[in-house]
Amino acid sequence: MAIAALAASPVTNARVRLALIGNPNTGKTTLFNALCGIRAKTSNYPGTTTSIRLGSSAVGSRQLLDVLDLPGVYELHGDGLESRIALDVVSGNGSPPADVFVIVVDASNLTRNLVLAGEVLAEKRPAVIALNMIDVARGRRIDIDHDALSRALGCPVIPIVARSGEGVDSLRRAIAQAALSIAPRPLDLPSAGAGLEALAQWAEGIAAATSSTPVTRSAEEDFTERCDRYLTHPVYGPAAFVAVMGLLFFTLFTLAAIPMALIESVFGGLGSLLTATLPAGPVRDLITNGVVGGLSGTIVFLPQICLLFFLISLLEDTGYLARAAFVVDRLLSRFGLPGQAFVPLLTAHACAVPGIMSARLIPNRRDRLATILVAPFMSCSARLPVYVLLTSLLFADPLFAALAFAGCYALGAAAGLITASLFSRTTLKGRPLPMILELPPYRLPSLWNAVLTAKDQGIAFLRSAGSIIMAICIVMWWLSAYPRPAAGVDVPPQVQQENSYVGRAGHVIQPVFAPLGFDWQLTVGVVTSFVAREVFVSTMSVLEGGDGNSDVDAGVVARIRGMTRANGQPLFTPSVAAAALIFFVLAMQCLPTLAVTRKETGSWKYAAAQLTYMSGLAYVVAFSARMMLRLAGFA
Amino acid sequence: MLHLVSERAARLSEVPAGAKVRLHDSGLDAQSRSQLRALGLTDAALLRVCQQGDPCVVQVRSTRIGLSASVARQLFVIECGE
Repeated sequence: MAIAALAASPVTNARVRLALIGNPNTGKTTLFNALCGIRAKTSNYPGTTTSIRLGSSAVGSRQLLDVLDLPGVYELHGDGLESRIALDVVSGNGSPPADVFVIVVDASNLTRNLVLAGEVLAEKRPAVIALNMIDVARGRRIDIDHDALSRALGCPVIPIVARSGEGVDSLRRAIAQAALSIAPRPLDLPSAGAGLEALAQWAEGIAAATSSTPVTRSAEEDFTERCDRYLTHPVYGPAAFVAVMGLLFFTLFTLAAIPMALIESVFGGLGSLLTATLPAGPVRDLITNGVVGGLSGTIVFLPQICLLFFLISLLEDTGYLARAAFVVDRLLSRFGLPGQAFVPLLTAHACAVPGIMSARLIPNRRDRLATILVAPFMSCSARLPVYVLLTSLLFADPLFAALAFAGCYALGAAAGLITASLFSRTTLKGRPLPMILELPPYRLPSLWNAVLTAKDQGIAFLRSAGSIIMAICIVMWWLSAYPRPAAGVDVPPQVQQENSYVGRAGHVIQPVFAPLGFDWQLTVGVVTSFVAREVFVSTMSVLEGGDGNSDVDAGVVARIRGMTRANGQPLFTPSVAAAALIFFVLAMQCLPTLAVTRKETGSWKYAAAQLTYMSGLAYVVAFSARMMLRLAGFA
Repeated sequence: MLHLVSERAARLSEVPAGAKVRLHDSGLDAQSRSQLRALGLTDAALLRVCQQGDPCVVQVRSTRIGLSASVARQLFVIECGE
């Protein structure tokens, strides 16, 4: 009946715009996924860099709903950016308000969730309450009379379990009906501006009148309390944290290697096929070396990025990340960073761009700035092939190479902490705000949520950093392939590279890097990777005279190890390889990161400071390391 | 900032785990107070102390909230019995 009514009404001429609003940890995103599935994308809310998920859903057999997943907020009139976005959408500030609001309420935590519901209902918007996690409430023997709650709030209340899909069809029907009506303001709702205390009292009254709360605690609450005692314990907590992070990175490196090898193999085969089928000439070179090389160099990072976000999503769903934030807070606060910086810094190990963007969840501006400024020190996946190449050049023994590889991660993290400490004593004076964080109950994670998160983040990476990396690969190929020698003149590949545009630029800039022991070739590798560091391997491969493949296999390492200077001396001596490795650990070499720093901080000043400080530090530390190695007798 | 704290009030950090207390006053900055209020720790809110230390964990209705030890030291509560 509801669908028929919707079809007959003027509302059907346009798609119904639905906004999901609710407190954090209420299963809002799970409901979004249940409504939209894979028909969703992540984009920035207009005028901000806050990610909003947009999707579409069907009522009956027709596509009718455009679904907007608003950020989780505790109150509409709060200080944070998320609250301002939610308030804009509810009040219609800047654009028409959504046609229907679905207020996602945690059934096991009715009183606190009703505070936000009261704020939304005060705006007299068509609304439906999705009483989510009703199974958890039943498990805790919380009995909710949802009809009475519906009468008290003046809008439909639909009990659901978003995770299993229970009640979601009823919710769709209620949404269709609500789109045709205006929700009356609950009669006893405190007046606007009455304050959170008055709203909390109102919510408590409604909850008391419509639900029963057991006197004794549930087994689930006891379990959460017992786990918290261990996972936030001063000794067991850090031990568990190290174990969880160790497992996370082990899984990341082990599992991601399989699709990465497959991607490289597929693109290698594609390049060979195109070389064999296309007529020889500049077009074939552009397609095989530029386009295919660029695509390969971009897509090869996807498995690690998707897998890290998949694992972070699983951890977040379990409720562990909130506990981990308290464990690391003890360490981070000593360096002037808040515990909430943990998730952005962990994410930055996949890519600094989403890492910096997730720093917006840190409520205090000083703490947020400190986190944004040090996040690029974390070793992102783009540095991996560079680390693999340079540690392999530095140590022939795989064990020492592996230790040096792990040392790169430690050096990046240590540089980030020391920098944060330095900033907290100078430009960002002050202590981080003490941690206040909701500790959600422990739950089994949702694999489907994690898959959708990984998909969204993978697409976001390809759109932002990926397109830039590919463009650089193509431009780099062209700069290193042109000008071509005259027809009929046979020039050795290395001479051709030296006379190319990029080779000439390398000669001009080389004196700047001479103290680090870099010749023109290594200078070109460093300079081109200022735009995106992962192109270093392919650049060196091209300069060595290879095909620009970014795959760091034994052949590439052997060929690059054999590179020589103009005087015939080996290029990668131990001190030079060490200086290059340290430079790549510490330097800011990523244009997309600088762009996102500017967006998140609202000023180029911080992006410029990040670039100058990190690159300056990288230069000084690399130079010092080289000098020390030379004093110690290394070449 | 001068706080007129009741003689019956104690620092949250000094209340044993398991106690039920009412929030009385705080010496926190405005931003932290706003965060607490949004999480349900409003004036005179009833809370159960679940765990002492760093973090101090309290439960307000069904919400478990972790507080840094420094926050717990600046919150004053009045015990309401077990």
